[in-house]
Amino acid sequence: MTRMLLREWRLLSGASRAALLGLACLAAVAVALGLAAVSATRADIARVVGLEAKETAAVEGFAQGAAGSFGYYRHYPVWRAPGDLGFLAPSRGDAVPEVQRIRMLALEAQINDNESANPELLLAGRFDFAFVLLYMAPLVLIALLHDLWSAEREAGRLGALQSLPHADRRLWTPRATLRFAGVALALLIPLVVGAAVEGTAPGRLIGAVGLVLASLAFWAALSLLVARSEAASATQAAILAGLWFAIALVIPAAAHLAINRAVPLPDAAELIRENREEVHAGWDRPKAETMQRFVARYPDFADRADVGTGFHWKWYFAFQHLGDLHVAAQSAARDAGIARREGLAQALGWALPPLKLTQALQGMAGSDVRAELAFRERVRAFHAEIRTYHYPFLFDDRPMTAAEVAAAPSFGAPPAS
Amino acid sequence: MTRARLVAVAQLRLFLRSRLAVVALVLLGMLSAIAAVTGAAQADRIAGERRTAQAAAEAAFQAQPDRHPHRMVHYGTYALRPLGPLAAFDPGVDAFAGSLVYLEGHRQNAATLGAARESSGLIRFGLLTPAFVLRVLVPLLLVFVGFAMIVGERQAGLVTLQISHGVGWRAYLGGKALALGAVAGLAAVPGLLALGWAAARDPADAGPALAIALSSLLWLTIWVLGITLVSARARTAQSALLALVLAWAVLVVLVPRAAAGTAALLYPLPTKAETDLSIHDELRRIGDSHNPDDPHFAAFKARLLRHYGVTRVEDLPFNYRGALSAEGERLTSQLFAAHAADMAGIQLAQQRLVGFAGLASPAIGFAQASMAGAATDLGSHLAFLEAAETHRYQLIQSLNRLHTHAVRAEDDAARSRDPLAEQRSRVAARFWAEQKPFTFQGPTASDRVAAMLPGLGVMLLWAALLAVLLFRQRPL
Repeated sequence: MTRMLLREWRLLSGASRAALLGLACLAAVAVALGLAAVSATRADIARVVGLEAKETAAVEGFAQGAAGSFGYYRHYPVWRAPGDLGFLAPSRGDAVPEVQRIRMLALEAQINDNESANPELLLAGRFDFAFVLLYMAPLVLIALLHDLWSAEREAGRLGALQSLPHADRRLWTPRATLRFAGVALALLIPLVVGAAVEGTAPGRLIGAVGLVLASLAFWAALSLLVARSEAASATQAAILAGLWFAIALVIPAAAHLAINRAVPLPDAAELIRENREEVHAGWDRPKAETMQRFVARYPDFADRADVGTGFHWKWYFAFQHLGDLHVAAQSAARDAGIARREGLAQALGWALPPLKLTQALQGMAGSDVRAELAFRERVRAFHAEIRTYHYPFLFDDRPMTAAEVAAAPSFGAPPAS
Repeated sequence: MTRARLVAVAQLRLFLRSRLAVVALVLLGMLSAIAAVTGAAQADRIAGERRTAQAAAEAAFQAQPDRHPHRMVHYGTYALRPLGPLAAFDPGVDAFAGSLVYLEGHRQNAATLGAARESSGLIRFGLLTPAFVLRVLVPLLLVFVGFAMIVGERQAGLVTLQISHGVGWRAYLGGKALALGAVAGLAAVPGLLALGWAAARDPADAGPALAIALSSLLWLTIWVLGITLVSARARTAQSALLALVLAWAVLVVLVPRAAAGTAALLYPLPTKAETDLSIHDELRRIGDSHNPDDPHFAAFKARLLRHYGVTRVEDLPFNYRGALSAEGERLTSQLFAAHAADMAGIQLAQQRLVGFAGLASPAIGFAQASMAGAATDLGSHLAFLEAAETHRYQLIQSLNRLHTHAVRAEDDAARSRDPLAEQRSRVAARFWAEQKPFTFQGPTASDRVAAMLPGLGVMLLWAALLAVLLFRQRPL
């Protein structure tokens, strides 16, 4: 077999070799950019965590242990740390921040903040491994495989070659195998090198390799199917390029329109405005009413809910939270609507295998919409943790010691950069 | 010229007879129609929603009852990025740039929302808009229709035949290009109709719309010339097709992304979180309003006391707390402006780098030109952010002036203890209705056309180069 593969490599045209080399370069550049992006993200997170610690120290300076001041001024970094396959489809520069600062005030006014990214770069799309796999690799495979038989027919050699004994095993299989293997190696070598740099868990690396091979296998099978037909090589190339065009570009773009139309979302601007109205109405509403509604949610504090006529932080944070509760149903409906849109897109993937495999790869890289929604959920849970940590201090009118300031919840250990 | 026309007419007849060409053109027409109709409907809906939200924000602000001005500083208002009529043709960055900014005192909030945050992952595959159809889909259609038009005839021995019958090589090439150009024109019709429809709704947009139409035609001309050239030079129809599909993939799909990736790497943007923390840090060094002994605020106070010839702030002819708020806002806003300018500078540098990559791929030039014309490019978004910040600053300082001059210092000092003083510290509701609403016109029509010039220039360069290459070559 090795001998036959070597023979096929020698027979491969210069243009084909250049295409394989070009693909390998693209994959290598994509992996290198991905590695740079994930390490920059980790550095961003680490810097923000470091600066936030300094900021917290400054708050400690003037808050003098007052839990209310900590609740108001202290921010907590939250982040989406890139996983060990993040370099395949990094999310750096997305509209959804990779690191964000959250405080105890109403969360709905914070959780929708965008990263100050350059929208023109986002619009252009990412140059990452997932892109090379979905868009570039299939074109190279199609170019290499579409005329496997028709090229020989058009050169007048097909009859003679087919009449060789065991032509399939001795000629066509090694030829197709070599070309497929060339494309696969062009992608997998950079992938494995990237994984080695990142220390990717072997099981996950195998999973990613499997996705790459499955995606290439789909295109190879499709190409060979068309190559088997009696059509002219140019027609075969046109059919395959047309299919690629439909699968990778046209159908997803059209489906995006259809899905967004089919699943309407509650108006976000209205939700944000209602949240603010409810929070600010808290200033004017009778304090006792606010506290009553709050302790209905947090009965543990029912015996300490009295506030006088003056300002009290426990009352302030109570109406902040009531503002979130006021729009909680709408907010959940919005997230559910986004999840439903993504669910439909994933369902479409079952009909278009390359799409499904790209979605799976983005899922493994942790940069798909489900990861974004999961991040929102984690931020909501963390915000609740911050609130419940502060409430006892506020309701007991108890100052925070330095140790208690330090023991406040944290989002987790920041990633090593 | 008549000979070229004869060649063109004959070629068009061949196109009409080719099932592939007709089916592709019909499919493309359907896609263009979908893109045009949904593009118009979506732009209409979004623009309407933003107008409504902006009006609701203004109405809510103006309807506030008597209040302490500092309550209004925290109540704040919203700025929404309006969407011009040409966004129906090219929504540009709209889906990826936050469309709503909450304007309040002490803080410069991030832009929020945007379609990119509320869609499935499919949004990364491209948005089916008239501009996308013209930039991405039509060129590939032209490739499929035209790749064999010369090389196919040569393989059949028909080129020599026609030349020897006196057609003339250049007339032959011109005729072929003319025929493919007719197909391109036909394919562009739905997109251009969408553009015309959008422009008709606001005559002020006619100039940019015309410039976009020109740049669309220029972009397709590049493809017509390129396809004719490759079809004339290729040895086989198959190699012509492969070369053209490859060129399309590189120019339209690969280079714009690679350029964006490179720009992001070479000019890294700090995260919003880090910028906010840097601002806090710098602020503490300039003047820490939480520190009663802060030198900056001590000097500010001393200056006021000296100027009014008094020894205590209580003796100032206005409310010192309001003046202090205004001074604090001035300091923070200075830093906001400086950092926003830094961020804008980095983003514009990224955009310039991508623009230079347009020399390697005119697809970038076309995209930048059509976005600039439709006022949906980075520049328009940055202008919106700047307008929102200007409005925020003016609104907050006008509220701080009310705080300084319309709220008595004694009432202000006693309001958290004394309900009557609290009542007196409120300012009449009519002041809220007097505040100017947020308006953003976006770049003017002539600025937009001027912003299109670099992209148009690059495309013109490409078209001229390809025309020279096409008509100076000799028959194979």
